[in-house]
Amino acid sequence: MIEVKDISKAFNGNQVLKNISVVFHPGKVNFIIGRSGSGKSVLTKCIVGLMEVDQGEIIFDDRNFTKLDRWARKDIRQEMGMLFQGSALFSSMTVEENVMFPLQMFSRMNKSEMMDRVNFCLKRVNLEGKNHLYPSEISGGMQKRTGIARAIAMNPKYLFCDEPNSGLDPQTAIVIDNLIKEITYEFGSTTVVVSHDMNSVIEIGDHINFIYQGELWWKGDKRAILHTENPELNNFVFPSEFMKEIRESLRG
Amino acid sequence: MTSVYYHIGRYWLLLGNVFSKPERRSVYRRLIIQEIDKIGLQSLGIVGLLSLFMGAVVTLQTAANIDSGWIPRWTIGFTTRQTMILEFSSTIVCLILSGKVGGNISSEIGTMRITEQIDAMEIMGINSSSYLILPKIIAAMFIFPFLVIISMFLGIAAGAGVGTSTGVISMTDYVYGLQYYFEGFQVSYTLIKTVVFAFIITSVSSYHGFYTFGGPREVGESSTRAVVYSMVLILISNYVLTQILLL
Repeated sequence: MIEVKDISKAFNGNQVLKNISVVFHPGKVNFIIGRSGSGKSVLTKCIVGLMEVDQGEIIFDDRNFTKLDRWARKDIRQEMGMLFQGSALFSSMTVEENVMFPLQMFSRMNKSEMMDRVNFCLKRVNLEGKNHLYPSEISGGMQKRTGIARAIAMNPKYLFCDEPNSGLDPQTAIVIDNLIKEITYEFGSTTVVVSHDMNSVIEIGDHINFIYQGELWWKGDKRAILHTENPELNNFVFPSEFMKEIRESLRG
Repeated sequence: MTSVYYHIGRYWLLLGNVFSKPERRSVYRRLIIQEIDKIGLQSLGIVGLLSLFMGAVVTLQTAANIDSGWIPRWTIGFTTRQTMILEFSSTIVCLILSGKVGGNISSEIGTMRITEQIDAMEIMGINSSSYLILPKIIAAMFIFPFLVIISMFLGIAAGAGVGTSTGVISMTDYVYGLQYYFEGFQVSYTLIKTVVFAFIITSVSSYHGFYTFGGPREVGESSTRAVVYSMVLILISNYVLTQILLL
């Protein structure tokens, strides 16, 4: 479980996060949604430690991440996996080397055990036989799946996905969504997905947190989101006239 | 002025992280070997070409400037040796390498920064600055002296070839000039300079690449800054080291 307690973050006097408190549950797909510039990516970067918070605490299973120094955070970081918006695969490494990288750095496995783990992860994301291709030689969807394989290589307790579907066609997006859901349930990881893709939210979201102008504006599950009366959330979820008609038909 | 102090402070903090304990020594050893190939061996061509022409030109220019019958012809060999060993093979070669190697390092690390590859390493718990920069520094400090020694030999050999083939000097005179009043410390001096230059090129270029933020344009700007700052620091340290070591 990840507990975010009353965190704030400002850049040059511009308050980007305002006293946000939220809990991300283990074995569930927890979404952070919001408009572009609402602060959801900053919130995620604060949680994973890429940015320092100005105030508040982030607690990973009773371990206060904000109070730890860089070296002490290493243990928690090795329990994290992250899928980046642009995949962030190491371009000089093959698919296999990308997935093997965290194992080489931190595990005590020998070469053949590492290969078994790599092949398991690649099979899990349906990328068998793509071991020796470079990121530039595979499609965007495959890059995302490689990113997932790398993220799960170390059996992460905490899985973060930043805009996992950006730039993907709807069918590939659903494949990625389902992978994230399956992996979350299979490994029991605390998964945090940052997205503004409502299709993903409805498809796989267990707990949804809506950030609006740097504040946690709404939280609930995907059924509640369809029936909320919160005007800002309604405008986000049902932005067009067509979507508003769908909302009315859902409610009707 | 504040900005200068800011960069100096951040540079030293980065070096502090770079020289902290590596995660896996075996991985670092492999990386150092890869970097020796990339930084050193792949620069052999340009270093060789540069050295051959520098040696040849120094020989011809010296010959052209010796009009007086009072100055012996072996001075050509002596001047070529001194020029190549003391200055050209270390300083000029390292200035060229700051463009080739420094620009490459800065753009490589800068691209990794803007494509979130460095963030990915950090989230895994890897000391990204050490992983990316330390092998480059060690590799350059190890291989650059070899490149400089090769440069000395090629430059002096080219001088001999051009000098004798054009008839400006006989091989006997050239070899006499090469051997005349030779001090071994001059080679040590130039190798010490080279090691310092190697450190400057790799660390300064890595610094500029590591703190690149934005997009491709910023990567290009970082690369330019890396080369310019490396060159300026090479020239300053060349003066300081010469003052300390030779006088």
